[in-house]
Amino acid sequence: MALTDLLSPEAVLPALKVNGKKQALQELSAHAARLTGLDERDIFETLLQRERLGSTGIGDGIAIPHGKPAKIDRLFGLFARLERPIDFEALDGQPVDLIFLLLAPESAGADHLKALARVARILREPDVLERIRATRDPAALFAILTQAQAATQQPGD
Amino acid sequence: MTSIVVLNSLLLFGSGLVLIGIVSSLVASRFGAPLLLVFLAIGMLAGVDGIGGIPFSDFRATYLVGSLSLAIILFDGGLRTRVSGVRGAVAPAAVLATVGVVITAGLTGLVAMLVLDLAPLEGLLVGSVVASTDAAAVFFLLRAGGLQLKRRVNAMLEVESATNDPAAVFLVVLLVQLIGAGGVSSTTEFVNLVLRQAIVGITAGVAGGFAITFAVNRITFPSGLHPLFVVAGAVTLYAMTALADGSGFLAVYIAGLIVGNRPVRAFAPILSFHNAATWLCQIVMFLMLGLLVTPADLLSHAIPALAIAIFLIFIGRPVAVWLCLTPFRFPVREKLFVSWVGLRGAVSIFLAAIPMLSQLPNAEVYFNVAFFVVLVSLLLQGWTVTSAARSTGVALADPAPEVSRVEIDLPGQLDYEMVGYPIVADSPVMGRGGLPPWARAVLIVRRNAVLTPEEAGALRVGDYGYFLAPPQRVNRLDRLFAPFEGHQGRASAGVFSFGPDVRLGELAATYGITVDDDVKDQTVGSLFIDTFEEGVREGDRIALGPVTLVARGVHDGVPHTISLILDSEDADVAVVVPTTAMERLMAALVARLTPLQARLADGTRRLTESLRGAVSRWRARL
Repeated sequence: MALTDLLSPEAVLPALKVNGKKQALQELSAHAARLTGLDERDIFETLLQRERLGSTGIGDGIAIPHGKPAKIDRLFGLFARLERPIDFEALDGQPVDLIFLLLAPESAGADHLKALARVARILREPDVLERIRATRDPAALFAILTQAQAATQQPGD
Repeated sequence: MTSIVVLNSLLLFGSGLVLIGIVSSLVASRFGAPLLLVFLAIGMLAGVDGIGGIPFSDFRATYLVGSLSLAIILFDGGLRTRVSGVRGAVAPAAVLATVGVVITAGLTGLVAMLVLDLAPLEGLLVGSVVASTDAAAVFFLLRAGGLQLKRRVNAMLEVESATNDPAAVFLVVLLVQLIGAGGVSSTTEFVNLVLRQAIVGITAGVAGGFAITFAVNRITFPSGLHPLFVVAGAVTLYAMTALADGSGFLAVYIAGLIVGNRPVRAFAPILSFHNAATWLCQIVMFLMLGLLVTPADLLSHAIPALAIAIFLIFIGRPVAVWLCLTPFRFPVREKLFVSWVGLRGAVSIFLAAIPMLSQLPNAEVYFNVAFFVVLVSLLLQGWTVTSAARSTGVALADPAPEVSRVEIDLPGQLDYEMVGYPIVADSPVMGRGGLPPWARAVLIVRRNAVLTPEEAGALRVGDYGYFLAPPQRVNRLDRLFAPFEGHQGRASAGVFSFGPDVRLGELAATYGITVDDDVKDQTVGSLFIDTFEEGVREGDRIALGPVTLVARGVHDGVPHTISLILDSEDADVAVVVPTTAMERLMAALVARLTPLQARLADGTRRLTESLRGAVSRWRARL
């Protein structure tokens, strides 16, 4: 599962300005809708439904909202670095400033799980987080995310 | 003089065989081989066609030793069955142990009739002989594989294998009588015979159980005689019931159930004595059965016997399991597993000796066929039971914690049991810093000093603590004193958290996991509480298809958060960065030999574990 398979350079938002969790999900849904051609409401509802089970804030300022909206035909990732950290009801209570949105088709099954695991693993590397938080350049962010994925496959990284 | 020499040689020979059997248990668990198969093999090796070359064909002695052993084993089975722990599993187990045995016996009997060219009743006899499963074999193997089964499956298998022995014994004795008497004279007579066996067996069992309990609690024997009294009582009950035309095996199982579930004085020594007695019975019985068989005769019946074994394993048992368990809404995977652990054992061979004793025609055919079926079953199913549990998802992700608990009997005291534990680092009792309100510290051994709890203050790592607790809650203490493995050594990739009220169905839909309909509405919190009935511990895991659920924020045995580990694809991979030339060379070698290395590592781990397990078992017993 390579991150380049689900993340495109356009799907990186270097400085998203939002005031809260709901608005963040709305903004992300809008961007995702624009890039995938899906219905914005569909995406938003799917994400909201998932958040009702428990926050997708996994701690250390990271959230990975995800879901399976209708009609999507491929795995789709969208990364946003927030202008200002927001409360995401994360388990550790820390405000969130990095969000990786992952959408998957109903049929994705194991690929969906693998993609989620891969994203989570990359965003847990302290080294990767440090580099992400040091830049606002979308191309650089894209490079860090996709290369980090390559790097974790090398022994000793 | 010479006769004394003969007797002494006999003694040497017998005890030598038992010793070899015990020592070989270490080797057997290393290879995951069914231990009972090893005992059987040792008996065969010592026997007429083996290196020992001992001709032994005393079916009377075999029957005597066999029924004595079975009575003790079944009584022990009852003794260890916690009625509270098997609630909900009793009904399916009872159906499987009665209706299931009849279905298996009938179907297998039909095949036996065809391949062995027997009369219907004779075919049915062959089917009945191989119809019951062997509890000891199943549970020894599962434990050796470090597995803990889901509670309901575990309880069901336990009760089933203990209760289906009486059912099969019953069928066989009945059929032998019928064939010996030249067939059934009337249906009424048949039904009368069945009812009499069952009613007398159950009545005698209940009465005997209460009588033993009463006697043990009222009469003060010199210390050490309580366990012996109980065993002697059980055997007496068996013999009396059998003489009164009742099912003696049913009686001893029920009596064991009663004794084991009533407050009984000296229960700890009774249990540990029975533990040893049961082992001895298993070893002696299997050695004897191995001696009894003539491998050359066995081979002459190999082909029809193999056909019967294959049919029994792949069709007979699964059909019975499906018919019996479907009404109880067991998921398909659990039914598959239950079908596969239909291990045959000593009971079948022992039952096959009954027609021999009664000198029925074709008796040696039954015996050799039964023996062969047991061999195939032990080899095929016995060896694969661990992987079957894992692949059907019946095994829990975490085995039960292993703690070294010491039990001390409190004479005349039924409400409390005294138990001792070493205090280890990272155990929940150190984490929460205290005991639950129902447990009381009695004394603490610190270095060489024996202290009262007041003198000792807070528990420290390295202490040895003795506690009073109600007997039914002792198992909960185990969890408190077990070292917490938590998430050690496991990269928790992608951990999302949920409240305990999230339903399994919702999780399943979100992550594309298949769960069975009957658990869709269950909450993840209750799944943990159901699964870990002794109280959920921080870090307890349940595998749910491709994902793993982890209990977090556990308070008083109830998890407040459930975390989801998405996959473990690289969780167990330890990466070594080669720095020196030597290490690089080694790394290259290791890379070439990865499959071999993995096998070796696995083997070493299992060897260490089995040795450690054996040592702690010995320690616990001494």
